[in-house]
Order: sequence, then structure tokens, then C-alpha cells
Amino acid sequence: MQEAELHDLSDDADYAASQQQGSPSIMRCDSGKKSSSSEPEGAQIVYLKDNVTIHPTQFASERISGRLKLIKQGSSLFMTWIPYKGQSTNAKLSEKDRNLYTIRAVPFADVRSIRRHTPALGWQYIIVVLSFGLAFPPLYFYNGGVREFLATVKQHVLLMRSAEDANVFLVNDFQNPLQRTLSSLELPRAVSIASVPSTPVSVGESSSQQNEERTDVSASVPQYNGRQRQKGHDPARDISIQVLEKFSLVTKFARETTSQLFRETHSNGFGPLERRNSNQSALDYSHKSSEYKEDVPVQSPVDPDPLEFDKLSLVWGKPRQPPLGLEEWATFLDSEGRVVDPKALRKRIFYGGVEHKFRKEVWAILLGYHSYESTYAEREYQKSIKKTEYETIKNQWQSISPEQAKRFTKFRERKGLIEKDVVRTDRSLSFYDGDDNPNVNLLRDILLTYSFYNFDLGYCQGMSDLLSPILFVMEDESESFWCFVALMERLGPNFNRDQNGMHSQLFALSKLVELLDRPLHKYFEQNDCLNYFFCFRWILIQFKRSGSWT
Amino acid sequence: MSMRRRTLLKVIVLGDSGVGKTSLMNQYVHMKFTQQYKATIGADFVTKELQIDDRDVTLQIWDTAGQERFQSLGVAFYRGADCCVLVYDVNVMKSFDSLDNWHEEFLKQANPTDPRTFPFILLGNKIDVDGGNTRVVSEKKAKDWCASKENIPYFETSAKEDINVDAAFHCIAKTALANEREQDMKQYGFIKQWRFGYDHYLVLHFSLHSRDL
Repeated sequence: MQEAELHDLSDDADYAASQQQGSPSIMRCDSGKKSSSSEPEGAQIVYLKDNVTIHPTQFASERISGRLKLIKQGSSLFMTWIPYKGQSTNAKLSEKDRNLYTIRAVPFADVRSIRRHTPALGWQYIIVVLSFGLAFPPLYFYNGGVREFLATVKQHVLLMRSAEDANVFLVNDFQNPLQRTLSSLELPRAVSIASVPSTPVSVGESSSQQNEERTDVSASVPQYNGRQRQKGHDPARDISIQVLEKFSLVTKFARETTSQLFRETHSNGFGPLERRNSNQSALDYSHKSSEYKEDVPVQSPVDPDPLEFDKLSLVWGKPRQPPLGLEEWATFLDSEGRVVDPKALRKRIFYGGVEHKFRKEVWAILLGYHSYESTYAEREYQKSIKKTEYETIKNQWQSISPEQAKRFTKFRERKGLIEKDVVRTDRSLSFYDGDDNPNVNLLRDILLTYSFYNFDLGYCQGMSDLLSPILFVMEDESESFWCFVALMERLGPNFNRDQNGMHSQLFALSKLVELLDRPLHKYFEQNDCLNYFFCFRWILIQFKRSGSWT
Repeated sequence: MSMRRRTLLKVIVLGDSGVGKTSLMNQYVHMKFTQQYKATIGADFVTKELQIDDRDVTLQIWDTAGQERFQSLGVAFYRGADCCVLVYDVNVMKSFDSLDNWHEEFLKQANPTDPRTFPFILLGNKIDVDGGNTRVVSEKKAKDWCASKENIPYFETSAKEDINVDAAFHCIAKTALANEREQDMKQYGFIKQWRFGYDHYLVLHFSLHSRDL
């Protein structure tokens, strides 16, 4: 029997792939939990259920059925859900969809909670929420078996019922750093931990509790109100589930960053946060969940796994790659220099950056000065054309005589403002330091020229911060100008007189946090800072002052 | 708990871009002057703890961006202020001419209970520049302006040479404290509740901000 199952697994391409993908997690969770099985190697299926189905859309024809398994390997428990192949009702199901929805050996160490729905009418289903906030779509048990599923899980991992909602089962709850963070935040006297639902749960809730009326993600997430589910209501019809799933990827990043910040705060000893140490907050937390004491007497909630929280080496949850090198860059271009796959290029750079020596070339494209479709020759040509054009615009203000300037208040003010700011921009870098630094003068000339190129927008503080790295990279006045122009095409609205761009972004940010990290949102709400002005500088200059460069 | 009650006083520093708001604040709090400041974007704040008349006071000084384009942000930062510090550069007429605008704008956005008695202080900064030879706003002119605004206290300062900075901020703290007491009596509940919340915002803001350093 067991042999047959193993054979079954090894035959399954999806499973084999997931085994490779999941290996780091396996290691992590091995170290984390006490082994209850004497089996040293090999996987054992401890639960198997057929006809477990997801409903990607409201259409019955698009439902995807598959097999749900719980697999025990060593001391770790994994969950897989593999759609059936060649199922007749899945005619429309593309390979892509299959891959999208397939659940590949998710270790329970990564699961945050499971929400159970056992309506009187209709199918039972569960929603599995991962610890970094991603929620899988509801899994419908066409043949029943939710209870058995949960019972099996409970045999192998720490599972306990949420204090706030009897249908939510928390997995490995003590590992959630944000909870601990919030409990320490509470200290000065704010958030009651009991009133803070964990984010992933609320994501799960929102996916299941919101119905058709809520398709706009910018609307606020209604609170779970415990109302009876109406017959025929299918949570999968809610388009926001998919949207939330995508967004919830962001949550991981956001929350890790938050907890990182608060840890730093602890160690820096800032403010009232330091009054309580992590031990105490952990105690607060364990007090809340008494079950957990019984279940795990040995394990104390100590500092999180350092590997898992080494944020600096992670970009959006993935290890940082080395900067894009010249040889690899060439592979992104066709023989005439066009970027073949812009998206792949951006993705590559997102995860590793670019080697400095050819940033010049890449930035001009990334910023939108040259198009991805442009050839080497076209870029060279444009460079010379644009140089002339730049000189023409620059000449517009350079030709203003002192006499003329006397009667040109607007010009004098603008020039004065720019001059005041360029001498306060990155002067500690050798590129801009010292008296009469020519690069500082270039900053001034480019900004003043820009304020003539776009006279309506003019100059606004923050622009010099954005231009400074561009000039440093491009090392050419006209090229820097045009790159800056392209950047301002995107960021210009942030600098508008009415601050419209900023306000709408801060608003969007507040809505995102509301969706993704409800405890944090609540915290901001209670502390009267939902306007998010504390993020103003970050957004206006795109975090330019938040890290070091060069 | 034997902790003494500490009073939080919120002070807003306003004035044209480049008049030295950040420098004054840093000279007062960190006793340092550097030529390498960055233009303030949005708002920053620093705190300083001091004793006034035997009371423990935390002065929370909010430094704001000078460019008039950022003024629409004001309302968030101005609210709950106990004192407003106006700064101009004695060498730049425009920065003096803008004072009316800053004064008016603050009252409009902060909307204090009694605009006529809300405490302002005026600082004429950069008196050190070129031995005073480039000065365009006379002390008399500044004092006349102050007299026209319910007798605002006036100090001539140099953040660079640390002239009058301590004296000015001590006056600011005293004025703010006096105002705070008055406010407490008038609308105790509201202010306290508001402040209470504000503390948390600060903790958070500060810790996030500390990452920028």
C-alpha cells in the first residue's frame, strides 16, 4: 500500500516539481518541530480526498476538481492539491490555469490558518491561509470530509481554534511575528490584542464573506458580521478573491518589513516600545491562547528563525540575484539592440539591479527615454537630436539678461529656489561635494531647463533628489535631462500644485493597508494618521533618501 | 508608578524655503550646524526634553517644508500645535514678505480656538551672513510687524553661530506651556484625547523615520 502511494507520488510531475521547489521550507520546518514519527525518510500519505474542487469563476463549467492530500515527510506535514488531468468538464482548463491553482506541497509550517465552512446547505469548503498572507481559493469538499481533514492536520501539527472565530483554526500560531509586535505595540496603551484579528484570517474572511456587491478592491473590507450565508452564495464568485490573493503577496513583504522595523526599534531603544521586552509580549500572547501551552510545553516563542527573517538578502521574498551583467544584458537584446522581452528584463533587474558600468544604457530605457523597441542606431540618433533640442530649451533661460530678470519675478524665484536646493542635494557624496562643484551646477541647469520645458509644473522640492542619481549615472547633461523628463512623465502629478498625485497615492496606500494588514490599518486609524502623511517623503522622492546609493 | 507627569508641547516651525528652519532646530536640539542639510520634504520633527518652572516638558518641534506648494499638507501637521514659530531670513526680503501669508495660513489650517491669542514667535535668522552687510530687513521693520500681530515676541538669530537660539526656543517653550495650560482648562477632554492618540503616531513615525538615518 505504502509503496503504491510512493510510486503514485513519484509519477506525478507536479509533485516532483514541488518537491524541488519546496526543499528549503522542508529544511526549515524540520528544525522547527518535534518529530512525532519515527519514519526517517520518505513520504507517507496520511489523508487523501477526491473531488475536492475549486471554483475559479461563477460558471460551473470552469470548476476544477482535483485530489487533496496530506503528506507526511519526516516530521513535516505537507498539503497538495493536484487538479485532475483531462477531466471532461475541464475542457476549457488550460495548462496555465492548472499551474495557477495547483497547490504544490505546501508545508504546514507555512500555513497560518484554516477557515472551515460547513453550511447547512451546499458544499463544505475550507480556505487555507498561508503565514505570509496568501489565501488559496476555497477548496470545496464535494464528498465531504472537512472534519476528517482537520482532525488529520491536528494529529501532525499544532492546530487550535481561534479565540475570535470558532470556524478558524490557527496553525503554528506562536510563530507570527506581527502578533508579537502588535502585542508590544499595545504597551503604551493602544490596541487590544484580542480585538486584532490576524491579517491572513481577515483576508480569508474578506474573500469568503464579501459577495457580489463588492468587486472594487478600493472599497473598504467589511467586517465579518457572522450573518448566515445565503443559499446559493458562492464565495468564488467574488472577483476580489483573486485580487486579494495577488495583493496578499505584498502583505508578506509589508508585514516582514513592519516587524523588522519594530525589531530595530526595540534594539535601538527608542521610545516607550522598549519598556517591555519581547519575553513579556510573548507571555501576553501565550496568555491569550491557553491551548497552545498544553500542546507545546517545550517550545517557547523565541526569536524567529534568523534565516527566515534575513530581509536584506531577500527581494520580494526571493533571494537577491547578482546585478545584471554585460553578457546577460546582451541576451535580452536582439541583433539590432531591441529589448526582446521588456517584462523579463524588468523582472530580472527588479531582483538584482544592474552593474554600474552600463546602468547608463539600461536606465535610459527603463526610465522611458528610449523605447524598448529602439535599436542601437535609433538610440544613437535620438541622442544627438535630443542634445540639440536640450540646448534650445536651455537657451531660453540662459538668454535672460540680468535687466530682464529684474522684471521677471517668477524666473528669479524659481531660479532662487532651485539654487537653494541643489546646494542641499547629496552634497556628502564626492560626486557633488566641495565648493563650485560642476555637477551641482549641472543639477541647477537641468532643473531650470526642465522648469522651462514644463513651465506649468515648474520646479518643486524633491525634484533635485530624483535628478541627482540620474545625473550621477548618465554623466551627461542632455541625456540626464531627457531621462528626468521621462521620469517626470510618470511622477509629475506628485509635484502638482494641488498635490493631487500625492493625495491619491496616499489614499491608495491607505486602502491597500486596510485590505492587506488590517491590524496596522486599525492602529493608524486609532492614532489618527489615516492620511498617511508620514509616508509623504517616501513616495514623493521614491524612497530616494531612505537608503544609501553609490 | 512614581513617574512624573511630562507635558508634551507641539511646536510648528514655518517660513520660506531656505531661511534656516531645519538649521535652527538642529542647532537647538543637537547643538550642531552643518552646511549639508537636505531640503525638508513633507515634515520632520525632533524632540527635546527640558524643565520649565519645575515642570518636565517635552518639546516636539515640527520642521516643515518651505515651498508653498506643500502647504496643503499643513492641516495634518499644524493641528494640535501649542505654538507656531515663524522664521525669515534677514537677508531676503521675500522671506519677510511671506510672513503674513504663513501667519494667515497657519491660523486658517490649525484653526485654534482663539486665533487672536494663539502664541506665535518670530525669528529673523542668518544675522551672521557677511557681517550683516547683506541684511535687507531691519530690526525695526520686523518689530513693527510683530507689534501689528498682537505683539509677537521677536528674536534675531544665527543658527550657524548659535546666536540667540537657546533663548528663542526657551521663550517658545514657555509660551507654548502657557498656552497649553489655558487650552487644558478650556477643553480638557478633547485635547487630551487627541494627544493621547498622537503619541502613538509619533512613536511609529519616529521609528520608521529612524530608518532613513
